[in-house]
Amino acid sequence: MKIVALTKAAVPLSSAIRIDPKTGTLVREGVPLTSNAWDRDAVEFALKLKDKYGGEVIALSMAPPSGIPALESLIGMGVDRAILASDRVFAGADTWATAHVLAKTIEKYVPDYDLVVAGEETIDSTTAHIGAQTASWLGVPYVYYVYDAEIKGRTLIARRFLEDEGVDEVFEVEMPAVISVLKGSQVPREVRLSRKLNAREYIQIVSNKELGLEPDCVGLRGSPTVVAGMAPATYPPRKKVVIQGEPAEVVKKLVEILKQEGVL
Amino acid sequence: MPCSLWPPVNKEEYKGVWVYLEREGSRLKDVGLELLGKARDLAQKLGGAEVGGVIVAGTEEMAREAVYHGADKVVIIDNPDLKVYTPAEYAEAIAKVVGKYKPEIFLIGATKRGRELAAYIANTLTTGITADCTALEIDPKTCDLLQIRPTFGGTQLATIRTPQRRPQMASVRPGVFPKPPRDTSRTGQIIVEKVEIAKRRTRLVSIEKRLEKDVADLPPVESADVVIAGGRGLGSVEGFKLLIDLAKLLGGTVGASLMAVRAGWAPHTRQIGQTGKTIRPKLYIAVGISGAIQHLMGIMETKTIIAINPDPHAPIMENADYAVVGDYKQILPLLIEEIKRLKS
Ligand SMILES: Cc1cc2nc3c(=O)[nH]c(=O)nc-3n(C[C@H](O)[C@H](O)[C@H](O)COP(=O)(O)OP(=O)(O)OC[C@H]3O[C@@H](n4cnc5c(N)ncnc54)[C@H](O)[C@@H]3O)c2cc1C
Ligand SMILES: Nc1ncnc2c1ncn2[C@@H]1O[C@H](COP(=O)(O)O)[C@@H](O)[C@H]1O
Repeated sequence: MKIVALTKAAVPLSSAIRIDPKTGTLVREGVPLTSNAWDRDAVEFALKLKDKYGGEVIALSMAPPSGIPALESLIGMGVDRAILASDRVFAGADTWATAHVLAKTIEKYVPDYDLVVAGEETIDSTTAHIGAQTASWLGVPYVYYVYDAEIKGRTLIARRFLEDEGVDEVFEVEMPAVISVLKGSQVPREVRLSRKLNAREYIQIVSNKELGLEPDCVGLRGSPTVVAGMAPATYPPRKKVVIQGEPAEVVKKLVEILKQEGVL
Repeated sequence: MPCSLWPPVNKEEYKGVWVYLEREGSRLKDVGLELLGKARDLAQKLGGAEVGGVIVAGTEEMAREAVYHGADKVVIIDNPDLKVYTPAEYAEAIAKVVGKYKPEIFLIGATKRGRELAAYIANTLTTGITADCTALEIDPKTCDLLQIRPTFGGTQLATIRTPQRRPQMASVRPGVFPKPPRDTSRTGQIIVEKVEIAKRRTRLVSIEKRLEKDVADLPPVESADVVIAGGRGLGSVEGFKLLIDLAKLLGGTVGASLMAVRAGWAPHTRQIGQTGKTIRPKLYIAVGISGAIQHLMGIMETKTIIAINPDPHAPIMENADYAVVGDYKQILPLLIEEIKRLKS
């Protein structure tokens, strides 16, 4: 089993996200990028399959060099090796152009892959696009929201959960295939420091010199979607009426408000 | 130079605003009908363009329902192999129909299945797609679709375009746009298309409804007009029971902060916020919730917010219409009693 785990270097779930009050953008300075929280579920899922069926787990990220520490900690989790696709021309990519680079990297560096696992979505862009787009680029079948799987020959038997319908489905998928792993469904294993210490040895950095993709088809230039504008989101202003005092009095006021709101 | 992998597009050939109409069993999901309403609005702004719908393995009755909700034309994809949903095969068939009819805009409801299909369809058509749009407009100058979505944790709204590719694609969560009225006097064309797909590589083995252990038999947070949410400040699952009582009295439901979910008082499906649900109820009552930005992001579009918290400086108090300074343990039992009295 050769499993590629797609992992994005993102702002960690454990650290508080800070928003610059002037620009309204995410403060990235001083925030170490770590793997997208939901991608650690994907990595855990891949490692479990490896524990059961043997083989190799390769983490793949497209990111600037600041994404290296994220890959190092995945190596610490037990990933065999990692590939960082990193090049200035990849900057500003939308999901089409990102999946393009990821798929071409897989085809060139892990041509004999059996399975690609992605996280359900990233916590910073939350599109859930990349898994399906990578499947489309690779020309292989795919299933999202998987939380358990078995392998029989060349078939992946994947169990998944659709939260909005409250439904469990089991699919047989011909491999090679792409799956996304249901967020929160795994308990990612601990990072072992002994392994993380010399993790850098297991990370291969590939640039577009090696990949040889047309510069017009990657990064900002290769993105069909274009960010045309950014404005602070405005929400209805709040009344900010402070209510305090004896509980009985407070309750009286609350009842009035509930009536006013038409729920009583 | 545009990317050479992009087949040339003649924009003149692309006309109309189309919608994917997802089925659940033998009926159409509401989100598709909601999008037909939005599609009508966009089509009008495009000078009276046609509104279309695509159903996989649907019936004429479903197609008529789509017409009643605003479609001028509905394509039913007819292929016995597609009776049962599988992602790659459905996406391939839908992409074929969209590729044939060439709408200039194609919208998809961002249900779990919709999110699974959307990006694959876009890739097959070598076009872009924007996820989870909260507003869609037509640029009066270029007639391009402006795809507006929250980003950077909901603090910013990004406006995204697809200037060079067609169709312009966007996904939209259920409940973002209102469902248009059902007008049975509307007429439209219903077309049955036989669509071939390549070799099937995904098969459904089984499907079963999960009997989820939930805190109460209450509606999901996305669909309730009144949501009463609890946080770490409740201190115990006993506190949550008070919220359930109150929710039942007000015909609402219960939600939770991340911390309350972590404490095991409510399932993840009830979490409100950045990594949970975004909701737009008429009334939100936050009990024992501090109002961290990640939590607030999920309730920004609520009409009225009431917060109950002993800390007058908790961020939720600054972001509430009514900031009740106090201990929920003293207030809620009295409130519940009083409402019961009023109702009896
Ligand atoms: C990337 C990221 C994503 C996140 N996503 C989410 C998300 O989707 N949803 C979410 O909720 N959080 C999210 N969080 C976590 C968020 O930052 C906060 O940690 C969390 O919302 C706090 O939960 P809380 O308000 O229940 O707990 P606390 O912050 O501990 O607040 C408890 C509150 O209860 C009050 N209280 C105490 N006693 C009483 C009493 N007797 N009566 C009434 N009030 C009382 C206290 O004054 C306090 O204000 C996320 C964080 C990160 C970094
Ligand atoms: N830059 C990236 N490098 C590697 N994998 C990525 C990248 N961006 C997204 N992914 C993968 O695609 C999944 C869905 O991401 P998204 O479409 O951004 O919500 C993530 O959980 C990752 O597994």
